[in-house]
Amino acid sequence: MNAWEFWKKGFDIWENATAKYLETVLRSPLVLGPAGAAMSAVMRSKAAVDKAQAEMLAAMGVPTRRDQERTLHALNQIQSRLIDLEERLADLQSSLDARQGEAAARGGDGPRAN
Amino acid sequence: MGAVDDPGARETRRWRNLIGLVSRPRPVVGATPADAVHHENKWRLLRYRARPEGLAYETPVVLVPSLINRHYVLDLQPGRSFVEFLVARGHDVFIVDWGTPGDEDRYLSFDAICEGYIGRALRVAAQHSRRNKAHLLGYCLGGTLAAIYTAAHPERVASLTGLAAPVAFHDGGMLTQWTNTPTFDLDALCSATGLVPWQVMQGAFQMLRPTLPLSKAAHLLDRAWDDEFLDGYLALETWGNDNVSFPGEAYRRYIDALYRGDDLVAGRFTLGGRRCRLEAITCPTLAVSFAHDNIVSQTSVAQLIEKIASPDKTLLTLSGGHVGAVVSRKASEGLWPRLAAWWAAHDHDAPAPAVTSPAPAVTSPAPAVTAPAPATLPKAARRRKPAR
Repeated sequence: MNAWEFWKKGFDIWENATAKYLETVLRSPLVLGPAGAAMSAVMRSKAAVDKAQAEMLAAMGVPTRRDQERTLHALNQIQSRLIDLEERLADLQSSLDARQGEAAARGGDGPRAN
Repeated sequence: MGAVDDPGARETRRWRNLIGLVSRPRPVVGATPADAVHHENKWRLLRYRARPEGLAYETPVVLVPSLINRHYVLDLQPGRSFVEFLVARGHDVFIVDWGTPGDEDRYLSFDAICEGYIGRALRVAAQHSRRNKAHLLGYCLGGTLAAIYTAAHPERVASLTGLAAPVAFHDGGMLTQWTNTPTFDLDALCSATGLVPWQVMQGAFQMLRPTLPLSKAAHLLDRAWDDEFLDGYLALETWGNDNVSFPGEAYRRYIDALYRGDDLVAGRFTLGGRRCRLEAITCPTLAVSFAHDNIVSQTSVAQLIEKIASPDKTLLTLSGGHVGAVVSRKASEGLWPRLAAWWAAHDHDAPAPAVTSPAPAVTSPAPAVTAPAPATLPKAARRRKPAR
């Protein structure tokens, strides 16, 4: 075993042991509780600042960032619904074509597509 | 240019490669030729171009990657691409590229993604089959989405494959423990960020094994003489650092209903107002877990097989980690051929030889039967207007 392989083996042992120890630490409620509280506090502060800014803009009659996001989201939803309708129309057209084909095969009048 | 036998030459190359690492050209990722056959909001459905000999199988395969990762992990680089492998075998392969969500997608719901987008992807792909069905494979969170969709809308799913897909979330894992910490205010996070930043999620994954970057660095030093390894390493790093943020509304539901409530396994999860019971899945189902996966536990994956009512279900446990087992050279000799054989065996509606996994955590052999392959591309039974 050369020096590098020896070092690598030692490193692997250290890495495994450290990872196990850190897992214990990161599962501890003593760490998770304060970490969660700190992150939540930062997020609540950011949400409060965003809300205050939005209220100020709304008071001036200016569309807020949220207004624009809602509008864009609504447009995306409309796009999806249009595609839904296209799919349904295509399904209807297919079944109509099939029925016309069957009727033609029987020699009778089938339903007509416009 | 992988193997270097002379120790002196190997050392020279190791240090030359390490010094030139920063300026080394980044490998091309996601290079298998594909066409976008559907666009909607930010996501699109890609269809890979068939091999010159044409398709060998009737039923298309739809790949659903995780929402927070780029799709090209399944098409990493030439020679290390699951997609390329499938295309070469004659499969008709589609993949969902989730794209990059915009700020307005903070309102995008879990149901819209799962029922709306996956449903659409499946329907578009199924048009290319006489069966009007497609095989659905979901990787990681994509697998969870695929399982939920199949439970609610089984009609067009020819078979379901969950690749390291978590189904049971109360599995004692660290992610479950973190998301269930009482001081973690999920609503505050979603309200403040809109799109939950990918850095937050990547940070959480890295904290699952904080020593991993050091371990990777040591492995890089060890193998730096191997150009092929270096290219693969850089390709994987490119993908690993190219993440996308998570739509806040969808994230809220994901964490609240799945990580906190474990609603899917409990049979309480709803999709579009319809209750999703895993027991409703009756199509052939394959669940793949990895022995050294530190993100998704084997227990969580195995629950899919435990819960579903399908008579044709297989649980496959392979060695390797969450990503490595899917993109490595080893995968091209183990995982990929097994998945391709599974789809080949389930290419027709006739019942395939059932391989039922009797219990979780038992490795079941993948069906080794390959269905006879039609030589040409099957004409679609009916073709709708091509998607934009």
